Amino acid sequence: MSSWIFLGIVVAIGLWLIAVYNGLVGGRNQAQTAWSQIDVQLKRRHDLIPNLVQVVKDAMAYEQETLTKVIQARNNAVAASGNAAQSGPAEAALSQATHGLLALMENYPQLKANDNVMQLQEELTTTENKIAFARQFYNDSVNTYNTRRQSFPAVLAAASLGFGPMDLFNMPESEREVPKVALR
Amino acid sequence: MSATTDFVAAQAENRRNTMVLLTVLTALAGGIGYLVGALMEGESSGSLPAVSQVGIAGAGLMAAVSIGWSAISLAVGDKMVLSMAGAKEIEKQDAPLLYNVVEEISIAAGVPMPRVMVLETDALNAFATGNKVGSGTIAVTRGLLNTLDRDELQGVVAHEMAHLRNLDTRYMVVVGVTVGLIALVCDMALRTLNWGSTRSSDRKGSSGGGILIIVLLVVAILAPLAAKAVQMAVSRQREYLADATSVQFTRNPNGLISALGKLAEKAAPFPGVSRATQHLFIVNPINRFTSKTPALLATHPDIADRIARLRNLGG
Repeated sequence: MSSWIFLGIVVAIGLWLIAVYNGLVGGRNQAQTAWSQIDVQLKRRHDLIPNLVQVVKDAMAYEQETLTKVIQARNNAVAASGNAAQSGPAEAALSQATHGLLALMENYPQLKANDNVMQLQEELTTTENKIAFARQFYNDSVNTYNTRRQSFPAVLAAASLGFGPMDLFNMPESEREVPKVALR
Repeated sequence: MSATTDFVAAQAENRRNTMVLLTVLTALAGGIGYLVGALMEGESSGSLPAVSQVGIAGAGLMAAVSIGWSAISLAVGDKMVLSMAGAKEIEKQDAPLLYNVVEEISIAAGVPMPRVMVLETDALNAFATGNKVGSGTIAVTRGLLNTLDRDELQGVVAHEMAHLRNLDTRYMVVVGVTVGLIALVCDMALRTLNWGSTRSSDRKGSSGGGILIIVLLVVAILAPLAAKAVQMAVSRQREYLADATSVQFTRNPNGLISALGKLAEKAAPFPGVSRATQHLFIVNPINRFTSKTPALLATHPDIADRIARLRNLGG
């Protein structure tokens, strides 16, 4: 009789461990997929910016400084990619520079007549949005995962099953302010 | 971040309400199956058992038919809806802005990119259909595409993406089938009672059966109406849920609020829309929205009410 009870407890604990394990694996995989989506969109932005600068640089000859800043920020971001610690701030700076350029382009009505420019502008806008949404989904997934692994009773097993905490993808608050467009 | 907890709380409440309504509907269908079965057993044996075996079988039969019928509807319904509405699939170069916005929101929702379709009409509307995550379709009208700005389009697409992620098509098919089945069985029961009353006049009366017949009579008349009301209530809950989920995706209630304002003015009926598909759209394309339709039988909540709830989410 008592051996049956013992067996029952062992089976119950085993099933519970499987459930905890699968839940954590699912959460971690979702976050990792979301991370690779961010990567895809950041690379897309790195490719788009030189093209856009190329087609607007004649019309925006007086904005040389802004254009140089955008290219500079883009090159910094490309150099920092692969390094998690530096990539965040570099991409945040690039976001700021890109938004500044997109805002400044509104002052040049002749650009709106150029199909090529309009197409590149739309592509860059959607890529910016995709980066923001991918980051948002990644951070939500990480929060869900971290909450799950810290909740009782999963917290008893999470660490010994090899599930460590995951980091949020942060862009420093100060660098996310609305870009100020300097008028000379 | 009060806004974050707000849409989470709103979603939890809508989900809870859906579960309550689905429980009521299931109980209704099972109860009718049991009643009919119990009555059949009483008719044949001349006395009523306390717990009717045939009644339990009847309840089981209702569930089985409901599940089977739902599976068939889910398998063929998707294509039927799209061809009925006359939607045409588009590629990215046909409408880059729409395609990009759908792609953005699918990233925000963490679901695979759905098919994108356009309905060639000036009326403003949009709908989504799909039975499982990963095989959905989002369709918007040409009028919507020409009228809304980027933020508004994002809000509408996010609402439709929310229907896909929350599997609302599946919910509504299953609920619709169950409601249809209840109506069918009640109709059959009423016909049989008509027959039975003329035949049984020369039989020795059994008082237990008499009471049961009256109960069945009342239930058979009221149940289809109640089921229909529950179906519409589920539909409205899923609309609120999709609105709240839309804000989760965009973190910007203003786009959807201003889009709903425009839709309220210009969502006219158009060819290809019918009562069978009206519940799929972001705003009901058949009923006038300014007029107060009987709230109990409306597929969608009042637009003013939806906007008010979205304002609350904005915090």
